[in-house]
Amino acid sequence: MKVPLSWLKEYVAVDLPAEQLAERLALTGTEVERVSRVGVPAADGNLERFVIGQVKKKAAHPNADKLSLCEVDVGGKVEQIVCGARNFKEGDKTAVCLPGGMLPDGRKLESAVIRGVESHGMMCSEAELGLSGESAGIIILPEDAPVGTKLAEYVPVSDEVLELEVTPNRPDCLSIYGVAREVAAVTGAELAPEPVDDTQARGDDSIDELVKISVADGRLCPRYGARIIAGVKVGPSPLWLKARIAAAGMRPVNNVVDITNFVMWTLGEPMHAFDLAAIAGRKLTARRAGKGEKIVTIDGDSRVLDDSMLVIADEEKPVAVAGVMGGESSEVTGGTTDILLEAANFDGPGVMMTEMALGLRSESSTRFEKGLDPELVPGALAMASRMMVELCGGRLVPGQIDIYPRPRQELAVHLREEKVTGLLGIAVPAPEIVSILESLGFGCRREGGAIHVTVPSFRADVEREVDLIEEVARIFGLDLIPPTLPSDMRVMGGLSGYQSAERDIVQALTATGMNEVITYTFIYPDFADRLRLGDKDPRRDCVRLANPLSVDQSVMRTMLLPSLLSTIATNLSVRNQDVNIFEAGRAYLRADGEKLADERRTIGGCLCGSLRGETWTGGGGQADFHTGKGIVEAAFASVKGRFSVESCDEPFLHPGKSAYIAVDGRRAGYVGEVHPLVLEAFDVDRPVVAFEILEDALIGSSAGIVIFEDLITFPGSFQDLAVVVDKKIPSQDVIDVVEAAGAPLLRSAHVFDVYVGDQVGERKKSIALSLEFRSPERTLTDEDVDAARGAIVSALADKLSAALRE
Amino acid sequence: MNPKSAFVNKYKDLLKELEAHEGLAAMFADSAADFDSAADLEALEAARVKHLGRKSPLSLLLRSIPDLPPEERPIVGKYGNRARAALEQGLADRKKELEGVELERRLASEQVDITLPGEPFPRGHLHIITQTQWEIEDIFAGLGYRIAEGPEIESDYYNFTALNTPEGHPARSLHDTFFIEGHEDVLLRTQTSPVQIRVMEKEEPPVYIISPGRVYRRDSDATHTPMFHQIEGLAVDQHITLADLKGTLETFAKAIFGAEREIRMRPHFFPFTEPSVEIDVSCMICGGSGCRACKHSGWLEILGAGMVDPNVFGFVDYDTDEVQGFAFGMGVERIAMLKHGMSDLRMFYDNDLRFIKQF
Ligand SMILES: [Zn+2]
Repeated sequence: MKVPLSWLKEYVAVDLPAEQLAERLALTGTEVERVSRVGVPAADGNLERFVIGQVKKKAAHPNADKLSLCEVDVGGKVEQIVCGARNFKEGDKTAVCLPGGMLPDGRKLESAVIRGVESHGMMCSEAELGLSGESAGIIILPEDAPVGTKLAEYVPVSDEVLELEVTPNRPDCLSIYGVAREVAAVTGAELAPEPVDDTQARGDDSIDELVKISVADGRLCPRYGARIIAGVKVGPSPLWLKARIAAAGMRPVNNVVDITNFVMWTLGEPMHAFDLAAIAGRKLTARRAGKGEKIVTIDGDSRVLDDSMLVIADEEKPVAVAGVMGGESSEVTGGTTDILLEAANFDGPGVMMTEMALGLRSESSTRFEKGLDPELVPGALAMASRMMVELCGGRLVPGQIDIYPRPRQELAVHLREEKVTGLLGIAVPAPEIVSILESLGFGCRREGGAIHVTVPSFRADVEREVDLIEEVARIFGLDLIPPTLPSDMRVMGGLSGYQSAERDIVQALTATGMNEVITYTFIYPDFADRLRLGDKDPRRDCVRLANPLSVDQSVMRTMLLPSLLSTIATNLSVRNQDVNIFEAGRAYLRADGEKLADERRTIGGCLCGSLRGETWTGGGGQADFHTGKGIVEAAFASVKGRFSVESCDEPFLHPGKSAYIAVDGRRAGYVGEVHPLVLEAFDVDRPVVAFEILEDALIGSSAGIVIFEDLITFPGSFQDLAVVVDKKIPSQDVIDVVEAAGAPLLRSAHVFDVYVGDQVGERKKSIALSLEFRSPERTLTDEDVDAARGAIVSALADKLSAALRE
Repeated sequence: MNPKSAFVNKYKDLLKELEAHEGLAAMFADSAADFDSAADLEALEAARVKHLGRKSPLSLLLRSIPDLPPEERPIVGKYGNRARAALEQGLADRKKELEGVELERRLASEQVDITLPGEPFPRGHLHIITQTQWEIEDIFAGLGYRIAEGPEIESDYYNFTALNTPEGHPARSLHDTFFIEGHEDVLLRTQTSPVQIRVMEKEEPPVYIISPGRVYRRDSDATHTPMFHQIEGLAVDQHITLADLKGTLETFAKAIFGAEREIRMRPHFFPFTEPSVEIDVSCMICGGSGCRACKHSGWLEILGAGMVDPNVFGFVDYDTDEVQGFAFGMGVERIAMLKHGMSDLRMFYDNDLRFIKQF
């Protein structure tokens, strides 16, 4: 909302500089985005160089056909000015910029010699003063304009503008007068009465004879007011009005339209002017549009309506999308003589849904959508009528339409003093409460410890005691509220076990050298193809966005892998080496039933390159399956959890170098080298190892609280064991047999070497284990250990045909 | 004889006794001087062979005892063996000494380039958003808040309606919402406040929670990403006041931006709080005197807050005569940007390792 300061000052006697006023408003709840200046620059006495001049003599330029040579009285002095415009004659008064003057566009005017003749100034067009786009001719001022006077004193050609960001609950501040009321309350300056003086109707006819208006949908149109101004002369607005319209950021159109816009800006009530002659059957109805009904709006676009939208229709067709935009067919044009002036109240949500459906917003709809005060209607009609009579030469036809079947009921709210204190944490004295509320237009009557408050119609946002307390707080001054902390907090804060575990996992991953990334959760729909997922794979069934920003961000991911591979690709493309990344995020699967979607917290990672970059000490080494598995082990170790691996047939992984991760026999993720075709589909030209683990399973695998075991008092006994087995036997099978046979004295068995080669024969491999035997009760004897070892060796021979390696 | 010999000095008394036998003292002094003057272990070994070896004068003397006149035998035997023992001890001492010198010399020759980098142990980096989020979480955990989480694919009811933003409410137009295909009333949450509703539905007051997480708005430029992170807080108890809100957020601002920071509240509008305020923190870049970052105001907006609107309590069946509360919400990215001097939001989601490894 642009609020030109000189316009504001017509209604409130505020004398603060713009910046200070802006600060005061910001601290009381009206955000000021910026303070800007429109029109002629004011600095360094520039406004002195713009004066009202009178053309005393106009002659042809001796050296140029299209120019004239003028003598212009600029107040006690006559200047010779060369001018290119043709729209004036001797005696005309106009706006003159004297040498040294700076124009709104930053150009500085100096005395010049034009085609051999000196020129000491410029007669200005509206465009040159920033008032409109009109640049063909110079401004012709009324005859009574005082020659020699500063132009700015006559027409507001220079102004400071407060650009307010009005919150949606305060549509009353989408008007100059509403802002003036707010300014009066926050500064104590005096507020002028509302500028709603009416004009006298003339003539023997009456509006009821000239037009029939009805409201078919009273919910979407709670009030409809109209008047007729007959015999208007449509033409350009006077300069001052153009200046106002321009300063507000609108474009002057003609006097009728400018007046409706001026009234809207002043009072906050959007108005519409119909050409009465263009209204078929002289009948208007506020009704819902028919499905598929069409209208060409004044912006020239044809729009298809539906039956949720309110239109103003004549006998044949819609002539306006109610509260949003008028139709071209009844637009006021140069030939219009009789105006039907509409001031109505339309339902906020209704207007909002209409503008969203049509993708059409206007100054009118952005006001109506917030829910306007129906009591604005009569004042707006009065003000607009008076201006049209004064500025368009029209006649107000007697009578007025005002369809307002359910007038607003006066609202009174009880405000308890102790509630003010209780909510704000500071006591505000009752007289101060009353004076604050009265300054904002509320009526107050004290009743014991409470205040009986009547709410003015323009404050529909205030309905309850708490709303009043907010009004009190913001004017009283939030800076006076003391900072305290809640007392008597009988709660415990902190992270849950799950949340702590999540942090442990993430930190364990960074400790391995992996870097955390955070990626968009919506991705491209072809990720499933790129991952070679099967036709029936449930991970193809994505949650889709109805209104994505782009196809590349149109479906919710069902796994983290595509996000990670894309991140690797972008990093490789900027030559980042060793892209080892993980994300703790969600994958989204469709869910049936009550849940909206199955959001699976997932830890996913990808290794591309080395975890320990190449340095002068060595290092390097491409990450492979077992690097990935090591990372997974680190993740599980961080929560003292356990997992097992199962053979894996994920289509996006290397069939021989991948595994499912299982927790308690339930599948909880995968780890493996990414299939080369998948890498190709993601534009990754280096090998990648990937893993994903469901966080619930990972954290759920935790053994919980560690129970103490005495590993100190009785020393353990350590032995190595090398066995030769068939090459195809997984090492885990060997471990399983060893652990079963070595119990209870065997505490752990670890593979420390695997050998394949000539020494063990073609189909065999040798696995070297380190065994730890230990008892919590005693020191083991050689006999104890020998017996346990013997049991292990014979079990290996029995179950896996394993031989001891000599 | 070298009177300055350390060896001789040490065995001064013995030497005096050795004078009982002519030649033994000279032999001792001679040996001692050679041991003393040996510059390295090699020279010392040569001296040992010369003075204590099988063919050394002392060895020869001791071996000749049986051939000596009987009265000399005990003297030569006694003093000769004492001299030998003393020389052997002295030799050992000197050897240790020379070994020490040798070791120092070797170590001195083993100098490394101390300016080469150390063994690189891998160290990954948490995303700066996570670091910031954890920092904020920890501050509020310390103030007694729990951390509550909830779904990102959310119903219209929790995201808007129960937050006092019913269908057609003008505030809805402030959120550009992503909707889910095939469901008119399902969306990507535009804020984490729906979590607050879910918690209040399940739990009785007092409630002190913060809800961090990803949120979505349909907007993309240097200052908007379609996904970002919020942390919203909620305190509901018997006597929670606006003053408590101010104190809590002042504590937070000082904790995260430095103890010298101040805050101010400006009235604002949010549908689910009444009164609503915006919180500014004194600019950490210029210290409040005004700079480009704070648009010369000395203040930076960091979060929105307010007293929970009674309508919201109505949706979760809390008795507004019994409890009141405050709520606040902030963008994690905004806090991180202010703290670390970033200006382009999109970098958070480019995930370029050069960016991630900075933090
Ligand atoms: Zn600053």
